[in-house]
Amino acid sequence: MSVETRELTAAARLELEGPPVLVGRPDDRQVTNALFEPVWQRTRRGWLVLFGISFALTGLLLAAMSYTFAVGVGTWGNNIPVAWAFGIINFVWWIGIGHAGTLISAILLLFQQKWRTSINRFTEAMTLFAVMQAGLFPILHLGRPWFAFWLFPYPSTLGLWPNFKSALIWDVFAVSTYFTVSLLFWYVGLVPDLAALRDASKSKAARIAYGIFALGWRGAASHWRHYRIAYLLLAGLATPLVLSVHTVVSFDFAIAQLPGWHTTIFPPYFVAGAIFSGFAMVLTLVIPARRFFGFHNFITERHLDNMAKVLLVTGMMVSYGYLCEHFIGWYGGNKYEAYVFLNRETGPYAPLYWLMLFCNVVVPQIFWWPKARRKVGLLFVASLLVNVGMWTERFIIIVTSLHRDFLPSSWALYKPTIVDFSLLSGTIGFFGLLFLLFLRFVPSVSASEVKELRRELEHAAHVSGHTAKGTSA
Amino acid sequence: MSYVLAEFKDEQVLFAAARRLRELGHLSLDAHSPYPLHGAEEALGLKKSVVPLIGLIGALAGASTGYLMQFWMNGIDFAINVGNRLPHSPPTNIPITFELAVLFSAVSITIGLFALSGFPRTHHPVFEVESFRTATVDALWLSVKVKEEEAPGVEDELRRLGAKDVARVSEDTR
Repeated sequence: MSVETRELTAAARLELEGPPVLVGRPDDRQVTNALFEPVWQRTRRGWLVLFGISFALTGLLLAAMSYTFAVGVGTWGNNIPVAWAFGIINFVWWIGIGHAGTLISAILLLFQQKWRTSINRFTEAMTLFAVMQAGLFPILHLGRPWFAFWLFPYPSTLGLWPNFKSALIWDVFAVSTYFTVSLLFWYVGLVPDLAALRDASKSKAARIAYGIFALGWRGAASHWRHYRIAYLLLAGLATPLVLSVHTVVSFDFAIAQLPGWHTTIFPPYFVAGAIFSGFAMVLTLVIPARRFFGFHNFITERHLDNMAKVLLVTGMMVSYGYLCEHFIGWYGGNKYEAYVFLNRETGPYAPLYWLMLFCNVVVPQIFWWPKARRKVGLLFVASLLVNVGMWTERFIIIVTSLHRDFLPSSWALYKPTIVDFSLLSGTIGFFGLLFLLFLRFVPSVSASEVKELRRELEHAAHVSGHTAKGTSA
Repeated sequence: MSYVLAEFKDEQVLFAAARRLRELGHLSLDAHSPYPLHGAEEALGLKKSVVPLIGLIGALAGASTGYLMQFWMNGIDFAINVGNRLPHSPPTNIPITFELAVLFSAVSITIGLFALSGFPRTHHPVFEVESFRTATVDALWLSVKVKEEEAPGVEDELRRLGAKDVARVSEDTR
């Protein structure tokens, strides 16, 4: 092979593979310093401002929750027939956001996608914090939240057990398992970095604090051999788990008789929507954090490009879901089913419906253009729109199906109250609060995995360099 | 007992040193690195991890707990008649059986990992060596657990085998 053709292949390769997953080849010390810098540096003003805002919103959440506890769910806009509204919309929205985290950290690990490495910890943290928000809503929605433990099978003096044929009980098990497994996966992944934080720390307090959480990790080969397989197995377990969780969530709707809910497409359509919204949230969080901490060499254009592609693909899946629902509404010949879709398009909530179509179907289409996928500002705005679109989708599914069902005499409109909005914005604040604490105290990009990635890339370059030399000789 | 710690520049040199020490009869060896070293298991003569087996046992225990719990609670102890369907209905038991299998498996994998690694153990003699703190950051170390009197010989051997920095720490330093 001549020198010229080799250069051509290199250029063609760049075209095919896109920008690198790691810019430059920083050594281990440089990786450690760059990634731990946000933990060691003094608290920055930007962080404090955001923390203040999230803290205030968390206060609003607590106030709205206390008010709900004191007065009851009557303070919400829910009525009959719209007995499920913001509580369930927010629950599904938040839990869906969590799913992209597990997809990136677990499924992409199993598929050996190198680009997951720098963003997996961000997204796992996002999963954990999103599931915490999600878990609040069904409990608040119970009416008597102080009896939430009745959902678990425990030998009570009442002598009865939960009804395991109910999808709502499946939800309890699915969501609590999802939270626990996500937490374990995140913490196990964090241990080598906590030890590195302990060892790289300058102050005694940091050394002791991180030392406790590092559990005595010393990078021993005798530990790594258990660790590597344990991490891989946790990823293997999380993969079907994430699919099962949103499937179970979709069953909450699909097993009801209500037109607009009673469809078999719900499980795959919900899972695709969850990943779609989750990737949008990852972009919403990663883009500012990357800029704020100057992580451009670790979270490269390649990552943004790939995430935009996932947004495009899952957006198309969601669009297919919409199309299929409408087709069956017409083709099925059930007039109630057909009316639900007509009502979505032309009824009282039609503006929200068209907003949803714009955000979830039209907006992702810009990512067919490679330039759009790498334009940070555009990506950020698109990710916000998708977040809005996916929240609206849950509103459309839940409220428009409920507010006009079979009997026109039972139709009613739904209007959320200030308490509803406080709970929604309060959870966004609480989520932000947890995420900011995470960014401040824990390295948000896994240093040990980036070091391993750098070594693998060097090794691959070494091997391909040898083959190139061999063929040209 | 003492720990002899040796820092190496290159992982292949470290592996060669580990093999040599094993030939000399020092079997309490460990390598320390910021990321997993491929080939360390072979060089140090480590056995295959039992974590997958622990995970499998956890999954089976979780699945059977999940299924039997639902079977006994809803089918036998307090049968709920919903629309005259069977009190024990296998398909409706699938989701919780699956979830508990995953839950038990993940928890046992994590506990198994910690137990096999002897965690939590925040005080370990090797932490007494200040330069060893690079082991989780940017350096490769080999540790050998030897009898007090054998330590000087092992130190010399490690230097001969290409160690950059050698340190010794006694187990009862504290």
